[in-house]
Formats: sequence, C-alpha cells, structure tokens
Amino acid sequence: MATIQTLHILNKSPDHPRAARCLEMVSEDDGLLLTGGGVLFLATGHLSGPGKVFALSPDIDARGLGEFKGSNAELVDFARMVELSLEANRVISW
Amino acid sequence: MSTLIMIDQAPYGAWTGREALDMAFSLAAFDQPASLFFTGAGVNWLRQNQEAGGIGQKSVEKNLSAAPIFGIEAILADRAACETYGLDENSLIEGVTLVDADAALLNDYDHTAFAG
Amino acid sequence: MAETASETFTLVITGAPYSSQAPQTALGFAQAAVTAGHRIDRVFLYGDGVHLASALSAPPSDETNWSEEWSRFLSEHSVPGVACIASALRRGLVNETEQKRYELPAANLRTPFEIAGLGEWVEGRIKSTRTLYFHAGD
Repeated sequence: MATIQTLHILNKSPDHPRAARCLEMVSEDDGLLLTGGGVLFLATGHLSGPGKVFALSPDIDARGLGEFKGSNAELVDFARMVELSLEANRVISW
Repeated sequence: MSTLIMIDQAPYGAWTGREALDMAFSLAAFDQPASLFFTGAGVNWLRQNQEAGGIGQKSVEKNLSAAPIFGIEAILADRAACETYGLDENSLIEGVTLVDADAALLNDYDHTAFAG
Repeated sequence: MAETASETFTLVITGAPYSSQAPQTALGFAQAAVTAGHRIDRVFLYGDGVHLASALSAPPSDETNWSEEWSRFLSEHSVPGVACIASALRRGLVNETEQKRYELPAANLRTPFEIAGLGEWVEGRIKSTRTLYFHAGD
C-alpha cells in the first residue's frame, strides 16, 4: 500500500464550513478518515474528491448508515485508525 | 519540527482563536518554529481598527501584533477568504502574507493543528 | 513497518463531554493504541476539553460517565492526564493548589488528572511519534 502523505481526520458533518475546507486541501496522495458526523458524507454521496477514503465503523452504525457500507469508503475500526495515523506522514484533525 | 496553527473562526464570538494563538506563542516560547494560518471567517482577525472595549474584550488585533515579538515565523492568510470578507492591503494589519489554501501549504509543515 | 514497532502518542482533547463526542472517540483510539502495544505519552485537555477532568460531573446512571471512564483508563495504564491551566482556570476547574492561590471555595479536579501549562503539549508534540487532536464535531 502506498504511503499516505497526509491523513485528514474529518469529524464535521457535510454542512459544517470546516468540512468543505478540509476537502479542498485533500490531495491525490492523501487519506481522508471520516469519524463522528463526518460519516454522514456517505449518505450524501458527494464525496468524489482525490485521495483514499476511510470511515470509522462504529460511527456509521450509530447513525444508521449500514446501507452505505458498500460505498466508496473503506470501513475501519479504532485499531485500523491507530495504524493509519502511524502510516501517514502527518495527521490533521479537522 | 515546524507547526502550522489554523484559525477558521471569527474573532470575539468564540474563544478558540485566542486559544490557538496561545498554542502558537507557547511553541515559540519553547523555540519551536510556529506559523499562524487564518482561513474562512478566521481572516477577520486580521482587520485593522478593532476596538473591542464596548463588548468587554481585549482587541485580538493587539494580541496578534505581539506575534513577531514572541517569535512567530509567519502570519498567513487565505487569499480567497480575504476576498470574501473584503480584506485587502488597505484593511489588513501589517505583516500578513496571502497564500492559497491547498495541499501544498500543508506540505511545508510537519504538524498542523486547530485549537478546537 | 509502523505496525510492528511500539510507537508513542500524545492525545489532545478539545471537545467537552456531553457537548461533544470528542472524549469518546479519543478513548476508543487510546484503548486501541494500547491494545496494539503502543504507549500513550500523555493526554492533554485543552479549551472546553478540560471539563473532562471535573470530579463533579454526575450524569444519569444509565449514561456513560466519560470522566470516570477516562480516569480509569489513565490510572490503569499509568498515562498522565493534564488539563491546561489557562483553559482550566477560566472554566472553573481547579486543584487544591490553585484553589488556595485564588482563594476559591472548592477544588474539583478528578484524580489522576493534573493541571499544567501548554509546555506539556509542546513537549508531547516533540517527543511522541504522533500528536492527535480530538475536537468537538458540529
């Protein structure tokens, strides 16, 4: 697996101004990890930017988004979140 | 180990920006390179002629003017956000560098953080 | 490879319990990191995050007490939990030293949390492999 340049951890829902700002700064070599309200991006289907997308599984389940599990995000648990944070060259929490 | 502290909330209505400034000043106090990046509504921190006495607060413009003395390396502002809020060289405080908010900006720093 | 070596983390929590999910997400991360054999150098509470260190929060018995959960985790794994002094004093969170200094009627810092300056964050940021932030959501 290619190294992630920057792992962007986004816990803001799609309507939060910081969510848009985050997406603008994600590049091809980056990873985007959706946590908290950020997983609601799966419901909007408006996530077509560059970079690999991950989503925190318990947050998806909590919000009843199980039906979107097959979409373009890779589901991760906390153990994988820890690994991702170490694999990336840097981490930004939005 | 350079750090970019981001401020994206307007001044006075929220405390996060002041706490972000404290983070940057602390890094500088421990000789760690730190810069500030104002984006979104946060660029309103950088407007001249702020008089906050009437709302019982200290002017953030004054806090910010101490940044170079404390050793903050750069005060950066999101060019597009400045345009949105009508900020140009006539209305911005001194010492602000306009930059584009993109992935290239983040690559210049080891660490990027918000205060909240 | 990152996943085989033991790494260290500084976790910064800026979202308060009961007004944000930040302390929960941070605890999930911290538990997973320890389970994977990594070490948490310290947990630093900043801004509204300092409310997590209150000894006086008493949520209904059928809700998780996040302050208690975090205290237990810190004690079990000997992880220092530090509340930023400037954030804490502004928000009415004090230990006995600060109570005496400011002649306040009570101290309310939960064991094993400590109160210290932003220097603790700066040090964690330099020493730990990664410093991660847990902010309030929306």
